[in-house]
Amino acid sequence: MKKLNEAQLNELEQDLNAIRQDVLADLGERDANYIRKIVRLHRSLEVGGRVMMPFGFIPPVFVAAVASLGLSKILENMEIGHNVMHGQYDWMNDPSLHSQTYEWDTACTGDSWRRTHNYEHHTYTNIIGKDRDYGYALLRLSDDRRWKPAHTLQFANYVLLSSFFQWGVGLHELEFERVRRGEISLAEKKGFLKEFFRKGGRQAFKDYVFFPVVTLPVAPIVLVGNIGANLIRNLWSSTVIFCGHFTQDAETFSEAECENESKGHWYLRQLTGSSNFTGPNWMHVLSGHLSYQIEHHVFPDLPAHRYREISPRVQAVCEKHGIHYNSGTFRKQYSTVLQRILKFSLPDKVRMRLEAA
Amino acid sequence: MLSLLEQNPSLRWLGKQLFNREDPAAFFDPLLEKLNPMWVRQYVPARVRSVTDETVDTKTFLLEPASRWAGFEAGQHVNIGVDIDGIRRNRTFSLSSSPRQWHSDGTVTLTIKRLPGGLVTNWIHDNLQVGDVVGVGDAFGDFRVPEDQEPALYIAGGSGITPVLSQLETLAASEYSAPVTLLYFVRTQADIIGARKLYDLRQSWLALTLEIVATNESATPQFLSSTHLDGVAGIDERRCYLCGPQGLMDLAQELLGQRNIRKDRIHSTFFSVPKAALASDDLGGEVTFSRSNTGVTSEGDAPLLEIAEAANLSPRYGCRMGICHQCSCKKASGTVVNRLTGQASGPGEETIQLCISVPQGPVTIEL
Repeated sequence: MKKLNEAQLNELEQDLNAIRQDVLADLGERDANYIRKIVRLHRSLEVGGRVMMPFGFIPPVFVAAVASLGLSKILENMEIGHNVMHGQYDWMNDPSLHSQTYEWDTACTGDSWRRTHNYEHHTYTNIIGKDRDYGYALLRLSDDRRWKPAHTLQFANYVLLSSFFQWGVGLHELEFERVRRGEISLAEKKGFLKEFFRKGGRQAFKDYVFFPVVTLPVAPIVLVGNIGANLIRNLWSSTVIFCGHFTQDAETFSEAECENESKGHWYLRQLTGSSNFTGPNWMHVLSGHLSYQIEHHVFPDLPAHRYREISPRVQAVCEKHGIHYNSGTFRKQYSTVLQRILKFSLPDKVRMRLEAA
Repeated sequence: MLSLLEQNPSLRWLGKQLFNREDPAAFFDPLLEKLNPMWVRQYVPARVRSVTDETVDTKTFLLEPASRWAGFEAGQHVNIGVDIDGIRRNRTFSLSSSPRQWHSDGTVTLTIKRLPGGLVTNWIHDNLQVGDVVGVGDAFGDFRVPEDQEPALYIAGGSGITPVLSQLETLAASEYSAPVTLLYFVRTQADIIGARKLYDLRQSWLALTLEIVATNESATPQFLSSTHLDGVAGIDERRCYLCGPQGLMDLAQELLGQRNIRKDRIHSTFFSVPKAALASDDLGGEVTFSRSNTGVTSEGDAPLLEIAEAANLSPRYGCRMGICHQCSCKKASGTVVNRLTGQASGPGEETIQLCISVPQGPVTIEL
């Protein structure tokens, strides 16, 4: 990581705080209108998708229904749920958009997400051993973890994780790797598991039991359509999230270097541990503006649609302090993620020989 | 149809499974709101039917709440919710009309005075128009009309007249025959709120004695005094009702106390408009954690999260540095200062982050 001394870190903190202040001072009706518009779009897409699905025996209607429901889940998870739970809209004082009570349309409970993502991942971003989001304890993405033969299969694991992403995220807090190592007992996770089955059961009941059953003559079509919509959401959200921290230049940190860190150092870690991708406007919206992962990590509780507006200022701050602003096209960033997954599946010797070649 | 999702237990359960929310009926609000704002379920909507000027700085708003609104008793208050610059603001106002009117035509009135510097009252005066929709909460408050034909004395000041108007109208309609006196203190004759209603009541209801005192029209200000109370016949037998600014209420309490009127026969209602703290005000103050019935004094040197923990409460928290919002909870009233920005909050109900909020004056937290 780029090293800055105490004074430089202080200055970095001031510079970023200034951007934050400007946005906070300007929050208002525009932001409220934006999120309400997105919520309306989500409701329309979900209602539309659910209504069209039983008519899916007509192929074009099936495609439209699956796309509509899939998009509604993506919007709800990425631009509404994730962002609302970060407290980005708490200032609106609208009980439907409140960070601590919002429950989203995915298997992971809001409470579990708030603990593992908002608190752990956003506080200890990319600190190996503390940020369990780094590789989700499933993938080896840096040489901080020792290579094991099982890692050769990690690309297949990655494809599985992406396909069943909502369940992977839902089970994240189980800390299965630590349970397996005997560091914690399953009994300690009883409360979590109960909540997981309640919420996961609710999601499965809705998409795979209730809606198929109420449309019984066409139940198989509705079931397949709902599976398709969930799959689209799973693939897209995992892809966006992988592009946020596992690209070529996204840095990792050790616990030692982050002990008693200042706010300035926390900012520096967020800037260098995250990566953006560029693309058309709709792509930013569908990614919940996590295409501006750097801005999101620096200011997790500012309304996400503001990230695009402040991005030039954040880039200028990076430039001033000589910090690499990690951004590229979606295609480029995603390909470095895939390369990273593949590279670290190989034994270090082979990987180094390949890298040298 | 959506009310079934609220009332039928099994449909409500199903709604929770399908929409992932405790109030499943409100799932469709974002769409319904566009079609007809009176269809929303998250709060009870009320449409503004008319707006009339009472005085230069006071207006009466005639509202028609959605039919599911539960009603009220004379003298009660409601929380009104309005969106101002994207923020839902809730404030408490007294209903100035009688329950009888609501039963007959479904309307209620709010009589609202502009408060100097008040965000919500000024916004309502400047922006709320006929046809607009506001949120209206359940009625609350135990300022209730006297029951069995007991003589009564009302002492009201300024906009404190609003719940009294509701009660007098209710008593008049019930053909209340025991003597009722209203001592109403206003700055000048031009500041009388509900003047027409009061004069009409005096005409039609013989039991009412109306005395309006303009405090600022003579050379020396005319405040409530023993002389005013001497003029009230059989004052010792009267049930007393006080509503107005703090100074008037204190004075009335004292004077009535001197006449040995029992405390349980004096009813006062006073929801002070929570005062916004001044930037120069010192940090610290009385902190009330309402759910756990705990009160502590803050010196202003610690954020609310630490204050709560020191009081043996265990609020949920995460980063303790203002990032993760795990400790966000509702502040019912009072002002807090954000440690990171140095900015003071508003005085009303809103969400705050405990780990970076320092009380400035008395604060009530829903914890």
